[in-house]
Amino acid sequence: MAEAQKPLELILARNLLSSISTPAFLVDAEGTLVFFNEAAGALVGRRFEETGALGPREWGEAFGPFDEHGRPIPWDRIPLTIALQQGRPMHSRMHIHSASGDMQEIEVSALPIVGTEGFRGAMAIFWPVGSARKAEAAA
Amino acid sequence: MKATVWGARGSVPAPGPETNRYGGNTSCVHVSLDDGSDLVLDAGTGIRCLGLAMRPETERIHILLTHLHMDHIQGLMFFAPLFRPETDVVIYGPASPEASLLDRIARYISAPLSPVEVRELPCQVSFLDAPDIEWQIGSATVHANSVAHRGPTLGYRITEGDSSLAYIPDHEPALGAPLEALEDEWISGYALAHGASLLIHDCQYTDDEYPAHVGWGHSRVSDTLAFATRVSVRRLALFHHDPMHEDDMLDEFVTEAAARWMALGGAPAALAIARERQSLEFAAPSAVTPP
Repeated sequence: MAEAQKPLELILARNLLSSISTPAFLVDAEGTLVFFNEAAGALVGRRFEETGALGPREWGEAFGPFDEHGRPIPWDRIPLTIALQQGRPMHSRMHIHSASGDMQEIEVSALPIVGTEGFRGAMAIFWPVGSARKAEAAA
Repeated sequence: MKATVWGARGSVPAPGPETNRYGGNTSCVHVSLDDGSDLVLDAGTGIRCLGLAMRPETERIHILLTHLHMDHIQGLMFFAPLFRPETDVVIYGPASPEASLLDRIARYISAPLSPVEVRELPCQVSFLDAPDIEWQIGSATVHANSVAHRGPTLGYRITEGDSSLAYIPDHEPALGAPLEALEDEWISGYALAHGASLLIHDCQYTDDEYPAHVGWGHSRVSDTLAFATRVSVRRLALFHHDPMHEDDMLDEFVTEAAARWMALGGAPAALAIARERQSLEFAAPSAVTPP
């Protein structure tokens, strides 16, 4: 047998996320950031092909997030971490460093991924708050 | 280990003079191990004729279901050994959080779809979720893993000595991302099929047909060949023929597939298209260079 491959649920999640234009992160059951899509890359100013997989602390430090006062949000209060550690969905607003270096307010929804053989990881989708307001104004 | 095809058709049986040469029965492959153990891969309509051909004195039969779509279980109710009290039949299949394997199969083997209920089957039958670790059946090691298809679906790898058979009859590994863009560990079915002596793999669609069927859980020929190349199988059998593909069409299909296989670096003799009652050849150890 070849070396272990990713669980199918993560493979399918990555395929989905790579096909949509909504910024999204995918982490495995250990909290390693195993993929983020092009839209997320545009938001944070780095491409997944450049960063590769990032450990739990690495991606937290690389991308923030921060509260409205610019203070780092503890890792265990990030929606993706809550989805991972507590196995429940989580939604919140926060700030990250955008590609331009500015602080960008975003909304984040994270949800756990549970397969037939148990917990597999989690995914989070992001929405720049400004984009949402523009969309509302345009509607 | 010997593998014989009893049904290579996908989706729905397609009997008739137009399909006589490749056969119209749905998925079923019999694997005979060196120690005499009998494994049956899927229970499409091909399993009916297999059951009639098996020795009545066969004591134990292991049926490995990849999933519970009709073309993979429809023949189960007509499998003669299920009606022999002295036969022990063990049926493996994918786990589901919704119901046990027995309960899910009982939806088919029960009224109004069936005159017989599972509990009325005369044989000794048991239903087991396929373990998520390797397990032993007779002289073979069996490994099951989830693969990309609609609904809970498994592929199997059966290893006996130097020979290994990977069976992934319903599979769409390139859904959402081209295989060449993915690392090995992100390819559905990679671990199951890597380096196998023989891979029996979904090849339901031509490249022209595929765009109308994206997401249905099946592969076009270019993806099948790319997958087989990527996992370095030593022999490949194209499987799960579309019911619309008549014999003459499949002749052309495999001719074109062979040309593309060779263009990818595959050995000509390493590619086959499955047909009913055909004994599939395994690559001898190190006899064929992986493409």
